Amino acid sequence: MPLLGSFCLLFALALAFYCFVVGVLAALRKDAVGYRLAETARRAGMATFAAVFVAAAALVYAAMTNDFSVAYILHHSNRALPGPYKFAVLWSGQEGSVLFWALLLSAYGFVLRLRHKVDQRLVAMASMVLAGIQVFFLILVNFVANPFGMMDVVAADGNGLNPLLQYPEMVIHPPMLYLGYVGVSVPFAFALAALIMRYPGEKWIQITRRWTMVAWLFLTCGVSLGAHWAYAVLGWGGYWGWDPVENASLLPWLSTTAFLHSVMMQEKRGMMKVWNVWLIFTTFLLSILGTLLTRSGIVSSVHSFAQSSIGNWFVGMLVVTFAVCAFFFFKNSDHLQSENKLESLVSRESSFLFNNLVLLGACFAVLCGTLFPILSEWVRDVKMNLGAPFYNKVMVPIGLFLVFLTAVGPLLAWRSTSVGSIKRNFALPASIALLVEVVVGALLYKNGVGFWTDMGQIYAMIAFCLSTLVIATIGSEFIRGGTVWKNKLQTNLLAGMYQLTRRNMRRYGGYVAHFGFVLVIIGLAGAAFNQDKEQEMAKGDKLQIGRYTLVGQEYTDDDNTNYSSRAALLDVYRDGKFLTVLNPEERFFKASGGQPVHIVAKRSTLREDLYVVYEGHNTQTDHPIIKAIINPLVNWIWIGVLVLIFGTGMALVPNAALVTVQVPKADAVAAMEEQGMQPAGAGK
Amino acid sequence: MKRLAKVLLLPCLVIALMGADNQEARYQNLGGKIMCSCGCAQMLLKCNHVGCPNSDQMTRELRASVIRTSNDEEVLNWFRTNWGVTAVVEPSTHGFELLAWILPAAGLGLGLLAVILFIRSWKLRAAPVAIADLNLAPDLEAMRARARRETEI
Repeated sequence: MPLLGSFCLLFALALAFYCFVVGVLAALRKDAVGYRLAETARRAGMATFAAVFVAAAALVYAAMTNDFSVAYILHHSNRALPGPYKFAVLWSGQEGSVLFWALLLSAYGFVLRLRHKVDQRLVAMASMVLAGIQVFFLILVNFVANPFGMMDVVAADGNGLNPLLQYPEMVIHPPMLYLGYVGVSVPFAFALAALIMRYPGEKWIQITRRWTMVAWLFLTCGVSLGAHWAYAVLGWGGYWGWDPVENASLLPWLSTTAFLHSVMMQEKRGMMKVWNVWLIFTTFLLSILGTLLTRSGIVSSVHSFAQSSIGNWFVGMLVVTFAVCAFFFFKNSDHLQSENKLESLVSRESSFLFNNLVLLGACFAVLCGTLFPILSEWVRDVKMNLGAPFYNKVMVPIGLFLVFLTAVGPLLAWRSTSVGSIKRNFALPASIALLVEVVVGALLYKNGVGFWTDMGQIYAMIAFCLSTLVIATIGSEFIRGGTVWKNKLQTNLLAGMYQLTRRNMRRYGGYVAHFGFVLVIIGLAGAAFNQDKEQEMAKGDKLQIGRYTLVGQEYTDDDNTNYSSRAALLDVYRDGKFLTVLNPEERFFKASGGQPVHIVAKRSTLREDLYVVYEGHNTQTDHPIIKAIINPLVNWIWIGVLVLIFGTGMALVPNAALVTVQVPKADAVAAMEEQGMQPAGAGK
Repeated sequence: MKRLAKVLLLPCLVIALMGADNQEARYQNLGGKIMCSCGCAQMLLKCNHVGCPNSDQMTRELRASVIRTSNDEEVLNWFRTNWGVTAVVEPSTHGFELLAWILPAAGLGLGLLAVILFIRSWKLRAAPVAIADLNLAPDLEAMRARARRETEI
């Protein structure tokens, strides 16, 4: 099997190289021969997927059958590893993850080439660009990070998978993130292809809209699953540590979000063409940068792999990609002239401009913070890591401004909005937001939380107010539009809102996504009110935190082939009433030299999570150390992400077809003659 | 005399208390910029690790430094020297580290400038001629399509 895998990888490289070179030749020739060449390139591109798929399957087979003659399997698997995690071996190491990149890219390419009839010339050029990227990854996987390297001596058992990755979400999180990273290659390929060809109109935008949204959806799932994994597994009580690799996944997400918004200006008004092209170029470059940060180990991170020379290849890829993009941009920039001008500062267009400014400002701030350790090492020879305090100071105000724009933007009209309309649209939502703010403030005050003394809590209060404003504006939009349809169809408001949504899935799906976004913001704001406590707990000892009392009941030890573990059984009381039993655990994975992993025990409600960690063991007293954290509103983050995904899914669904009423031609002509009109196209 | 002494003592007491309050605020502020070096990945004042080998010593040193000097920068530099550069996770506002604060702000500022230039260039550009010949070729369907596209109806 390893031999088959190696052969398939080489074959895939040959096919991708053929697809790229012949694609270039086909682009240069615009005759029938060029057309036939493009067709062979397309088929070679599709065959690349088959070859890479067989190679990936060979690696998974080697993991499943414990083939420790393959160095990669020896280093990332072992006999006792459960089946699903053996499948995850494919992306758990350097070499496998590069192969996985190549596999996903070829899969995207396969679908794109299969759907070539949407626009054969543009798809042929985009296919050539994708083949160029594919060649890079296949060179890496063949000659720099080959997952089929063989051992001289076959070991009896492997080193095992990183214990932190032995968690169900970890089987899904990396593929989701990779699907997002790789997915942005498709809109990038179309944008570059359209620029190279000086392709007229906005067709490439329309073709790639769904591709971009799907890539964004996967990125969203990947980022949020990673956050949830960190929350559930790492045992520090948080979900986002501003780790460089976490940041690397956030960067393309932010720029893709900006692109998804600004692209509407190009579609509807023919504006911001240069901006959009560079946004998608930047997004692709950021996804390559993200892969570089994860793979090279140039920044210290709990996620990144060891230092390796692979980083130099990615730097080379970044430079070449930027050079190619810049060359074609300067060559064909006259093709990207705006068709319309901005007519008013108070308009949907300008709100999109500010939205892009804020999203890209956030992206730039995260990028600066992430790369600052590298810069400080160059300049001062010391790596200075920037932690949460820095990011919180920089990112929270930017995030709050973004929430404000989320409230304001959708209510502004295209071209221009009058002051009267602003007053009409915002009076009620703003009043509701202020009312909710007063109620929340009063409730906090009643519970003894002096939020005005803590900057984090002041920000949280602003976030609650702005989030309510967004929810109120979204609600008012649905109600206003739904009422029109209710009156028109003589039905109820709910049915009216359904009809409204079905006729513009993109717009109202977008509103649902915005609703999900503010639920996430509400959940994030809750972190300002966290409480935590850690103490040693013998049997019968009590730990008091907030409204909860934890009582140590039983402590157990366990042992199996994969790991040994220590666990605690804790009775939980709230306001003196028994609530539940929590069972935090600490596992020591044998294949990884006894590396400890916390299995967190939680009691989740919409109001808060009681999060309990078996933090360690005091060897002198033989008592366990238990850490308890109260995380208010944290579940709203996960609910918000689900709503966000649902809203994006809605926006991907086509609108309900418009009903066209046929008027008999004779009647129409008679009516027009009566009014002295001519039918459209008459006399042409 | 007693009354005079009281009158003089009161402001001194207020100033002393204000100083103590200020020191406490500085202690809290600086403790939020320094990371506990035991590997728990928590900020120094948040580290409530049972048996943490470093946090007690670090907090003692922080309190002593806050009393010793009124310059926060000096305190952070002392921690950098004694606990390593990575102990401080919030860059200072002086020297090279100031760059970490300036870059995001400069990025946003440049972005804002770019937006203003965009808007200015659009305003200066002549109005498009797409609808100039309306009365010559009344392609109503195209106009309707444009209106539909732009108004989302």
